[in-house]
Amino acid sequence: MFLLLFIINIYAIDLRAFDTPNDDGSGITINWQTYQNYQTFAIYRSTEPSGIFEKIGEVEGSENRFLDTNIKTGQEYYYKLNARQDTLIDSSRVVGPIKSQVQYFNTARLPMAICIIILFAAILFYISQAKKRGRLFIRKIPALNAVEEAIGRATEMGKPVLYVPGIMDIDDPQTIASMSILSRVAEKTAEYGTPLYVPTSRSMAMTMAQQVVKEAATRVGRPDWYNIDNIRYITDDQFAYVSAVDGIMVREKPATNLYLGTFYAESLILAETGHSTGAIQIAGTAMPDQLPFFVAACDYTLLGEELYAASAYLSQEPVQLGSLKGQDLGKLIFIGVIIIGVLCQIFSYQFFINLFNTIE
Amino acid sequence: MNLIERLSKLDRRIIFLLVALAVIIPMLVPLNLPVDITKPVKNVYQKIESLPEGSVVLISTDYDPGSEAELYPATEAVIEHCFHKNLKIYMMGLWPAGSELGNVALNQIAQIYNKKYGEDYINVGYRPGGAIMLLSLGRNFADVIKVDYQGVPIDSFPLGKKVKSAKDLGLVMTFSAGDPGILHWIIYFHARYGIPICGATTAIMAPQQYAYLSSGQLVGLLGGLKGAAEYETLVNKKGRGLRGMDAQSIVHLLLVGFIVLGNVILVYQRRKK
Amino acid sequence: MKTIIPLIIVFACGFYMLITFFIPARFAQASSQTLQNWYLGVIAFFVFIGIFNLIRINVDKIQRRLRDWQYSFILLFFLGVMLGAGFIGGRDSRIFLYFFENFQVPLGATMFSLLAFFVASASFRAFRAKTPEATLLLIAAVVVMIGRIPIGYLIWHGFPDLVEWIMQVPNTAAKRGILFGIDLGLISMALRVLLGIERSYMGGARE
Repeated sequence: MFLLLFIINIYAIDLRAFDTPNDDGSGITINWQTYQNYQTFAIYRSTEPSGIFEKIGEVEGSENRFLDTNIKTGQEYYYKLNARQDTLIDSSRVVGPIKSQVQYFNTARLPMAICIIILFAAILFYISQAKKRGRLFIRKIPALNAVEEAIGRATEMGKPVLYVPGIMDIDDPQTIASMSILSRVAEKTAEYGTPLYVPTSRSMAMTMAQQVVKEAATRVGRPDWYNIDNIRYITDDQFAYVSAVDGIMVREKPATNLYLGTFYAESLILAETGHSTGAIQIAGTAMPDQLPFFVAACDYTLLGEELYAASAYLSQEPVQLGSLKGQDLGKLIFIGVIIIGVLCQIFSYQFFINLFNTIE
Repeated sequence: MNLIERLSKLDRRIIFLLVALAVIIPMLVPLNLPVDITKPVKNVYQKIESLPEGSVVLISTDYDPGSEAELYPATEAVIEHCFHKNLKIYMMGLWPAGSELGNVALNQIAQIYNKKYGEDYINVGYRPGGAIMLLSLGRNFADVIKVDYQGVPIDSFPLGKKVKSAKDLGLVMTFSAGDPGILHWIIYFHARYGIPICGATTAIMAPQQYAYLSSGQLVGLLGGLKGAAEYETLVNKKGRGLRGMDAQSIVHLLLVGFIVLGNVILVYQRRKK
Repeated sequence: MKTIIPLIIVFACGFYMLITFFIPARFAQASSQTLQNWYLGVIAFFVFIGIFNLIRINVDKIQRRLRDWQYSFILLFFLGVMLGAGFIGGRDSRIFLYFFENFQVPLGATMFSLLAFFVASASFRAFRAKTPEATLLLIAAVVVMIGRIPIGYLIWHGFPDLVEWIMQVPNTAAKRGILFGIDLGLISMALRVLLGIERSYMGGARE
């Protein structure tokens, strides 16, 4: 009878060990299933099936998984588990040999790699098409058409243009997009000889903006127009920055305010102050939360993706416009994937949905 | 000039004055309006309730003094709830000033609950680097966090020793006013390492989080001061969240009034044309 | 040459980071981590450039007695105080915390709370039912505003549920649509930057 109970107990723990998938060869995963509750599990390891097993870890009874990372890649190991409930200790069978291997491709990320390749291919295809065919059609973006007009207005009034490139650093793609637009704005203001103020909230953004404006001025043959003091760092602190920019608006009364980049709660504080000074205002951000504020308080607003498209639109270079068309094809593919996903969810077809699981 | 024409040229300083009165008067004469509990807030509460005793909750204070009014009451309420449930708190901040604010709340409440630093709670302070830091943190916790906010080696504390990887966390609770913040936690921490994320955000940011709530990437959400007030109701704590609700109610009504008035003016001007 | 070298660095680092995202092997992860650490190092260095710029411009303003130079003096004075307090006593020193809690916190909160006033003036001026779509938006906004406050609950108990529905269904649907567009725009721009098609951000818009 005792022997029978003992055998049942052995098989009461179903232990598995395997090379941790998609890692750098530094882990073996051990997991188990039990048919009764235990307080703790102790994990033992050996390099021989009948050698001395040393304890490598102990986990709570609520756990069913242990990751052994203290191993040598390529070495064979054997594992067993002791489960404890008060004074009773049950042991599992020994499993092995298991050895870990370095993985050179994360298979869990294959669907993501495929998506990126398709999207890149679509964009590159249309870029090459654009090179061959020349001009491509792109719908009108009123906010961008208004930029030149707004700069012209400031020039007529003899007042400066204020350019706010958002409050994030240059690792934010919106700041990069903003710098590209700044380059075109600087060309125009330099051409007209209108002062351009660029207060920044990050020092790296300041350096980049200085470079962009200086080069733009040189390009249009007005290097004398460039004034380094007009492109300055204020502070990283969000609201201190806003109060400084508001101060510039109230004191200098720029005729045109351009807010292009990443904005948070400060969007409305800037746009309302600008409105009260009577400036013409053009905003653009890919922050969905802030769009309503800009739409309400500014004359023109670039909505979301239009900010990223702005540089291509302003340059009118076929190669850049081609990338926008590729992006549209990507959108079509995404819509297709979403519809398939919805159908799979409705009909409980998990395989397709699991392809998009990113958790490691 | 009749009344409507005069109103259409209303000086915005009068609007500002009315808003100020709508905030100040209810603060002086509280109405004590009851607060209903919404599902996203209930989800945060239930998630913390469901964690076994001794689980580690990572609290990230990703805000600054500018949004202190909205997020600090929520920070206090959640810390209280965690200590009340005997959960361990691992605090950090993606914003420099947020880590200071979080530390003040943590130390005050820890004293009330007789919690011991290093054992029941720990603060590793401001962690710069945003998304990149979070990616490294998920990959290898011990590589990123070597010392606490005072520069003491993290391994000299029992709680520091306990948390060695993202998997050792029961929950991440971020108090977020922008970037880096809740979105980074979702994209770089949850999406890759599967750790459940709850958040408290400013009211302005709350609508965007619903996309992540309905996809399950975000377990629960405290939106703005209202979220904090709801949480205070759930944990039976009358704090700044609940006190602010009266003022918020009156200001919302005033705004609705302004919108209606603006549209009355619009209709009048159209008819006149 | 001036733009070619940076473009090569962008191309090489960008694609390398992208490729290592798919390679779990240690050499790939460690090297991408190193690149990320370098970026953190660069950020730290740039803090000094920012402060240097701030000091240079404000000292110049004081020296030349330009308009409002007194504010520049106040700025530099407190910059010195906070830096000094941080260096001497650390971030927990009494003087540092005093200025943080009694200056920075209330000043930041003041700027943030301006939002309440500006939302009021903007809603009065701009939130008008000029088109059928604007009318729909306006009704939704009023429902959400009333439903999110205790008074809304007292008026009708169904208000909060209606608000949750608006937030979860139409709001989320619209936000997701915008977000997909934004993300695709981002990928397309990233590719333009990596391939050097888009280079105006580093000054060289046209060759």
